Amino acid sequence: MKGIPTVLITVSPEVSSQMRPPRALYPNGFKIGNSLGKPNMRGLQLKVLRDALSLLTEDTRPGKIITRDYPEYGEYHEPPRVKT
Amino acid sequence: MTFSRKCVPFTPFDGELAKSTVALVTAGGVHLKDQDAFNIADELGDLTYRIIPEDVDVADLMVTHHHYDHSDADKDINVVFPIDALRDLQAEGFVRGIARKHVGYMGYTMQLKAMYEGTAREIANEIDKGSRADIVVLTGG
Repeated sequence: MKGIPTVLITVSPEVSSQMRPPRALYPNGFKIGNSLGKPNMRGLQLKVLRDALSLLTEDTRPGKIITRDYPEYGEYHEPPRVKT
Repeated sequence: MTFSRKCVPFTPFDGELAKSTVALVTAGGVHLKDQDAFNIADELGDLTYRIIPEDVDVADLMVTHHHYDHSDADKDINVVFPIDALRDLQAEGFVRGIARKHVGYMGYTMQLKAMYEGTAREIANEIDKGSRADIVVLTGG
């Protein structure tokens, strides 16, 4: 089995971490439904996508979710928590 | 092949982004308007997926998903399925290509085993065979 490298963009880092994604980016405070940011903010969408793809060439620890701040998003939403 | 519950199925990437082709796989319920919508009436969820072609016009895409607010995706699908953003990255040479196939499914199911052992493998096979993708970007809602 060869496999294809993947990177996840998640706005629910706690939930996603349960699935142990090989590489993952959490844009800090983005709400569900806004994985890449807000509608028509192409510059922000590009930045998030570029950062996610860049995780493929960075020495990330498998299973670790990388949090990045994007102040231009202009809002902060608490991510959903895993129910215990 | 069965994965350990604790193992991270990590596939190394030893290529260059500028020489790589990228596929998008979204759990955000994205599909073409002329494809069957996902079944949101079934409490167990929908285990099917839709193939989205490389040359898709975003005006032909829509979202069927009842477990997140997709009103922003309805205005600009790139917030969950960044195909135009990916085209911009290709234009600037950050990545080489757009894969021939992309995949949308509805990331809500009460049938986790069937999703994990069935749908997920079928999607991986779709990408592996004929999409020419070197990399997959996964998004949720």
